Amino acid sequence: MSSITVGTRVETARGLASGRLARNVALGALVALLLFLTAYPLAMLVYGSLHTTPPGEAGTFNLDGYRAMLTRTNAVVLLNTIGLSLVKTGLAMVLALFLAWIVARTDTPYRETLEVLVTLPFYIPPILTAMAWGMLATPKGGVINLAWTGLTGSREPLVNIYSYGGVVWHMMQYSTPFLFLLMVGAFKSMDPALEESSRTSGATAFTTFRRVTLGLMLPVTTSAFLLSFIRGVESFESALIFGSPVGIEVITTEIYHLIHHTNRPDYQQATALALGIMVLMFLLVAWQWRLLGGRSFFTVTGKGYTPRVARLGRWRWATFAFCVLFFVVTVVLPVGQLIVSSFFKFFGFYRWSMVTTDHYFTVWNNRLVWRALANTLLLGVLGATATMMLGGLIAYVLVRTRFGIRRALEVLAWLPWMMPGMVLGIGFLWAYALMPGPVQLYGTLWALGVAYVTLGTPLAVRTMAGAFAQLAHDLEECSRVHGAPWWTTFRRILLALAWPAFAVGWILIFFIILRELSASILLYSVGNEVLSVVIMRLWTEGKAGQVSVIALVMLALVFLFRFAEQRFTRRGTSSPFRRSSPADAGSSLPPPRIARAKPALGGPEC
Amino acid sequence: MLTRRSVLRLAALAPLAVARPAAAQDADWKKVVDAAKKEGKVVVYNGAVGTPVLPKVGAAFEAKYGVRFELLEARASELRERIRTEQASGKVLGDVSHNGSTTTALQLAEGTFQPHGTPPNGKRPVAPFATDDIRVPIYVITYGILVNTDMVKPGEEPKTWQDLLNPRWKGKLLSDDMRALGGGAVFFMVMTQKHGKEFHEKLAQQQPHMNRELRGNYPRVARGEYPVYFPFTLPDSLDLKGLPVKAIMPPEGSPYVRFDGAIFKGAPRPNAAKLFLDFLLSDEAQLHYANLGFVPVVGGLEGRIAAEARTIAQVKLLGTTDPKLQDDMLKLAKAIYK
Repeated sequence: MSSITVGTRVETARGLASGRLARNVALGALVALLLFLTAYPLAMLVYGSLHTTPPGEAGTFNLDGYRAMLTRTNAVVLLNTIGLSLVKTGLAMVLALFLAWIVARTDTPYRETLEVLVTLPFYIPPILTAMAWGMLATPKGGVINLAWTGLTGSREPLVNIYSYGGVVWHMMQYSTPFLFLLMVGAFKSMDPALEESSRTSGATAFTTFRRVTLGLMLPVTTSAFLLSFIRGVESFESALIFGSPVGIEVITTEIYHLIHHTNRPDYQQATALALGIMVLMFLLVAWQWRLLGGRSFFTVTGKGYTPRVARLGRWRWATFAFCVLFFVVTVVLPVGQLIVSSFFKFFGFYRWSMVTTDHYFTVWNNRLVWRALANTLLLGVLGATATMMLGGLIAYVLVRTRFGIRRALEVLAWLPWMMPGMVLGIGFLWAYALMPGPVQLYGTLWALGVAYVTLGTPLAVRTMAGAFAQLAHDLEECSRVHGAPWWTTFRRILLALAWPAFAVGWILIFFIILRELSASILLYSVGNEVLSVVIMRLWTEGKAGQVSVIALVMLALVFLFRFAEQRFTRRGTSSPFRRSSPADAGSSLPPPRIARAKPALGGPEC
Repeated sequence: MLTRRSVLRLAALAPLAVARPAAAQDADWKKVVDAAKKEGKVVVYNGAVGTPVLPKVGAAFEAKYGVRFELLEARASELRERIRTEQASGKVLGDVSHNGSTTTALQLAEGTFQPHGTPPNGKRPVAPFATDDIRVPIYVITYGILVNTDMVKPGEEPKTWQDLLNPRWKGKLLSDDMRALGGGAVFFMVMTQKHGKEFHEKLAQQQPHMNRELRGNYPRVARGEYPVYFPFTLPDSLDLKGLPVKAIMPPEGSPYVRFDGAIFKGAPRPNAAKLFLDFLLSDEAQLHYANLGFVPVVGGLEGRIAAEARTIAQVKLLGTTDPKLQDDMLKLAKAIYK
C-alpha cells in the first residue's frame, strides 16, 4: 500500500513539475509575445528620441530631443492639451453617466434601441463628423448660425466650431459613447441590495446614488475617465481641424508639425515629446492604481438578482426625449449631412441640378475600394479575434493568478494606449522594416495585422479583465476538479461566461481597426490597401461624396454588428452567470478583489 | 596633312559617326525595354495623394509596354521616411519616386536616388525645366485665386495678388495655411521673394482665415462662407463646373510647384523604373497631365491640349519654392500670421 502511495506521490510531483513547466513556458511565451508587440516598437522610438538620426542612419546619441521639449511654448501647449482633455472628459463623463443610468436603471421606453443608438457616434470616422460640423457650426454661413440669425435677427453667430468649445464638442462626440459603453454594464450588473440597504438606513435617493451607486462604480468610472482622458490627450483630428486655424495647438498637432511640416522631419524631438507624454500618462495610471489599491468594490455576488429599475412615471418620456436628442444631435445631424451629400455632386452644395447617384456607382466600380474592403474585413475579423484572445489570456493572468510578473504584463499591455498613434505608427515602421531574421513582416498584410493587435490589446485586456473579475473562482476550480485541462476550462468556462464582454470588445476593436490610419499609412503596401487609406486618398482628392458613401457602408456594418451583438448578449444573459459586460472594462485596473461568490442558482453544482 | 579630299571624306563620314552612337543608344534602350518587360511591373511611390492623373498615365503605360503599374500613395513626409527605412533595412519595395521638387531635392541630398542614365525622352523638357542625372521634371501645379461669383461682381474681383491687400477683403479671405507645407507655404515663399515680407505683413492685417482643408475649402467659397480663397490649385477649377465660383490667374504669374520623378537607390526593378520615367516625358503622358490642367514640361503640345484646360495648362509661371529656404520661411510665416 505504502509503495502505491509513494508511487502516486511521485506521479503527482511529476505532474505538478510538468504542469509548472508548461505554465512557465506558456507564461514566457505570453511575455515574449507582448514584448514583441509593444516593447519592441517602443524601444525603437526610445532609440529615435536619443539619436540624432532615425534608426538605420549614422548619427550620435544625445538628449537634444528631450532638451528641445522643455520650452515655454511646449509647456503652454501641454496645459492646453490637458485642459481640453479634462474639460471634454468631464463633460462627456457626466453625459455618459446620465445616459447609462437612463438605459440601465430606469423604465425609460425603448431602452434597448436607445442603447444601440447612443453608441453610434463612436463608429463614425472623425473626419466625416468634422466635415459635417464644419458646415453646421461655422460662424459664417453655418446652418445653425443662419437659422439663429434668421430667427432672432442677431448679427452675432450662436456657435463657432473654430474655438476651444468647438474642439471640446467634437471630441465629446466620441468620448460620450465610448464612456457610455464602458459604464452601462456596470450599472446593469450592480446588486440592488446594496442600494436598498442604504435606503433602509434612511439615506435619501440622491445620497444613495452619490455615495453607494457612484461609490461602488469608482473603479469603473475612474478607469473609464482615465482611458478617455488619455485618448483625449492623444486626440488629433479635432484639434487640427478646428483648433489649429485659430491658434489652438495641442501636443499631437505639435508632433504633427515636427514630422510633416519641417524640411527634415524632426523624429528625435517628436518621439521625445511622445515618450514624455507617455511617462506623464503612466504616472496618472499609477496614481489610479494607488487610489483604488486595497479597497474592495464587490458589485456582483453569486446570488441571482434583477437590477433595481427606477420608476420615473411621466418623467420617463423626458429621459427618452433626452436620449433621442443626443442621438439627433450627434448622429442624425452629421449622418444626415453624409446621406444627403452622397446624392449631390458637391458636398454640402444642394441644388436640384446637382442631384446624382454617381458617387455610389463610382464607389461600386472602384476595384481599389473592393480590394481594400476585403483586406480590411479580413484584418478586422482576424485582428479583433486574435486581439480579444490575447487580451483574454493577459487578463486571466492579471485577474485570476498571483504570478509576480502580472504587474509587468499589465504595464506592457497599457503602453500602446498611452502613445499618440502617429508616433506609434513610426515605431511599427522602424520595428518591422528593420526586424532582423528570416521572417519578413514589412511589406505584407500581416504587418498591418500585428500592428492592429498591438493597438487593440490595451482595450481587450481592460474589457476581459473587467469581465473575469466578476466571475467566482469556484467555477474555474469546479471545472479543474472534474479533470478539465486549463485550456478547456479557460475556453468553456471563463470565455463562455465572459462572452458578452468578449463580443462588445470584439466589436470595438473591429471598428478601431476599420478606422485606423496612422499605422496603416506607413505599413500598407501595394495590393494590401485598407479602407482607411482609400478614404484618405479620396478625401485628399476632394471626393467627399464618395467618402460619404463608404462611411455609410461602414455605418451599416455598425448597425448590423451592434444588433447582432445585442441578440447574442441577450441570449447569453439568460444564464445568471453571464452578467459581466464590456462596460466593466474600467474595473480592471486594479483588479477589484473578487467576491468568492457561490455559484448562482441554476449554475453548475460542484 | 589635311587635304581638301580628306576633309570631304571626313565630312561624308561624320553623319555615320553620329549615327553609330545613336544606333548603339537605340540598341541599349531596347535592352532596357526588354529587361523592363521581364521585370514585369513598376512600383511608384506618389506624394501627390489622390491625384487623378497618375492612374491614367499608369494605365497608358501598362497598355503600351505590358508592364504592370502599381501605385502607393502617402503624404510626402511619410513616403520619405518609408523609403529611407526600406533602404536602411535593404528591403526596398518602391522603384520610382513621384513627388514634389522640394521633397525630391531633400531626398537627393540624402542619397535616396540612383542615376537614371537619361532615357530617350530625357532631353525633351523645355526651359525653365531640365532633366539632370537623377531627376526628371514631370509636370507643374499652379496657383491662383478662387472667387464666389454670386458675392463678387466681375468688376470687383481681385485680379492681381496685390488686390488681396485691398481693405474691402478684410476678414473675408480664406487661405490655405501658409505656416504649414503645401500650397500656402509655396505662396508665402514666392510672394516673399517677389514682394518682400511687407506683402505678408499687410496681408496678415486682412486677417485671412487659414486652414489645411485644401479641397474642402472650395465648397465653402461656393456656399458663400467666404468670397475669396487663395492660393487656389488652378487645375481643380476643371472639377468645379456648375458651382458659382471662378478661377482667377493674376497676370504677373502663378506660384507653382514642380513634380519630379526619380529612381530609388536599390530599386528592385530599375529597368521598369527607367522605362516609366521615359514614358512620363512622352507626349501621351504629358497630354494626360495637360488635359487635367497641369502645366506640361515638354513643348509642342499646345494645339493638342483639350480646350477647357488650355488656358490653365499654359498659365504664366511666377516662381517656386527653394528647399534651402523652406524652414526659415515657415518660421517667418508663423511669426507674421499668428
